[in-house]
Amino acid sequence: MRVGSVGGRGMTFNLRIAAAIAALPLIVGGVETAGLRSGAAAVVGQPISTVVPKGPPATIDQLRRDYKRPATIPFPADNPYTMAKVALGKALYFDTRLSGAYAQSCASCHNPGYGWGDGQPKGVGAGMKTLGRRSPTIINAAFGPIFMWDGRAASLEEQALGPIKTDVEMNMPLDHLMERLKVIAGYGPMFAAAFPNEVIKPEHVARAIATFERTVVSPQAPFDAWIEGDEKAISEQAKRGFALFNTKAGCNRCHSGWNFTDGSFHDIGLTSEDVGRGKFLPSIIKMQHAFKTPGLREIGRRGPYMHDGSLPSLEAVVDHYDTGGIDRPSRSDLIKPLALTASEKTDLVAFMWTLTGEVDPMTIPALPR
Amino acid sequence: MKTFPCALAVAFLAGAVVAAFAADRTITQKGKMFSLTDVTVKKGETLVFVNDDNVAHNIYSTSPNNEFNLGSQLPGTSVPVTFDKTGDIDILCAIHPLMKMKVKVTN
Repeated sequence: MRVGSVGGRGMTFNLRIAAAIAALPLIVGGVETAGLRSGAAAVVGQPISTVVPKGPPATIDQLRRDYKRPATIPFPADNPYTMAKVALGKALYFDTRLSGAYAQSCASCHNPGYGWGDGQPKGVGAGMKTLGRRSPTIINAAFGPIFMWDGRAASLEEQALGPIKTDVEMNMPLDHLMERLKVIAGYGPMFAAAFPNEVIKPEHVARAIATFERTVVSPQAPFDAWIEGDEKAISEQAKRGFALFNTKAGCNRCHSGWNFTDGSFHDIGLTSEDVGRGKFLPSIIKMQHAFKTPGLREIGRRGPYMHDGSLPSLEAVVDHYDTGGIDRPSRSDLIKPLALTASEKTDLVAFMWTLTGEVDPMTIPALPR
Repeated sequence: MKTFPCALAVAFLAGAVVAAFAADRTITQKGKMFSLTDVTVKKGETLVFVNDDNVAHNIYSTSPNNEFNLGSQLPGTSVPVTFDKTGDIDILCAIHPLMKMKVKVTN
C-alpha cells in the first residue's frame, strides 16, 4: 500500500499556512488498511490536521428549530401513500395467518401495547425460542434511513418480508404465504384496491405493510409543546437535562433531531459478543460491535434498552454512558467517560421522560375471512 | 514549542503537504453529508477528504480496483486518496448510512 506522495508537486508553499500548521500537532498516524487486497486499492495518503473554524455556540432558538416536529410523513415515490394500502397493510400486520404455525404476526413482536416493541430483552420466535436481539420499535420508521440493528435492510419494504420467511421467526416461505392469502376471500378486494391491475406477489405484501408502518408516528409530547414555546410544558429539571443532552453528555451527536437519531452505527462499549454491523463490514474496525442508533421518542415506555435488552432502565442507560463502557479499538470516538454528577444524571432521565406523549389506543382490524 | 530550526523543518514539511493538497479537489463532510455527491476525476488524480464536521466519520469503498478504508477520521483532519485505476466508485461512510457519493475515474 503506497503512502500518498509528499512534495512531488514542488516545494513552493505559503508561509502563513505553514506557520499555522506548524503550531498544530502533525498527525502521522497510520491509516487502517486491514482486509484490502493489494493491487486493488486506491492510494490513501497520510492524514493531516487542519484548522476547522468553530461556529458560534448554538442558541436555544436554534436548538428549538433542530428539534421541531415535521409537518408531514414522507412516503417514497415508488410506494406512495393510499388509504387502501394502509388498510391492507394494517390487516396483514396483525394477521397471524402470515406465520407458518398461525401463531405470530408482525404485531407479536412489534406490539402497539409496548411502544410497538415487545417489552422483552430479546424477541421470541418460532417454537417460542428466544431470538438474538431485541425487537425494535416501528415508531417513526418512516423517517429512518436504514433498518434493523445491523442496517442490513435498506428500506421498510426490504425489511418487511424478512421476519415472515425466516425459519426462526414467522417461518412462512413466501410462495406458501401467497397461497395462503389467495384462499382468504376477504383479501382479494383489499389487494385489488391497494394495487389495481397488478399481479399480486410478495413484494405487494411488503409494500402494504411498509405503508401502514409509516403511519405509526409518535404523538405530540410535552417536549414538543416546550419546543413550540410553552415554558410550562416541562420541568426546569428536564430543561437542564436537555441542555446536558446537547452539551456535556453529548448525546445529540448521534441522538439528533426531532426523532433523536441520525441512524448512525456505533459501538458504545457494551459487553456483548454480538458484532452487529461488523458482520457485513469485517474489515472496518469501527463497525465491530456497532449497532444502529435508535430514536428516543416514547423511550420511557420502551424498555429494556440496547440491542440485547441488557439495560433495564433509563437510569442504567445514563450510567452506562457515564462510564463509557469497554474502551476498545472499535468503540466510537464519540463515547468516553462523562463524569456526570448524580443530579446531572437525574436531569437527563427527567428530560427523556418528556419525550413520552398521550398515545391513542390502536384499534385492531377485523381480519378478512 | 521546539527550537526554531526544528519548527521550521516541521513547517516546511507541512507546508509541502498543503501545497500538494492545494491542487487536489476537496470533499468536505460537515453536517454528516459529502459536499459533492458526483465527482469525475482522471486516473492518478487525488481527492482530499476533509472532516470539517463535529463527529468522526469512516469513509470507505468496496468498489473493485478502488477499495479503500480511511478508518476513523476525526474532526479537523484531511486525508488524500489517489485513484490509480479507472472505474465507477461508490463511497460511503460506514457510520452514517446517508453519506454517499459516487466517483467516476476516467482515463
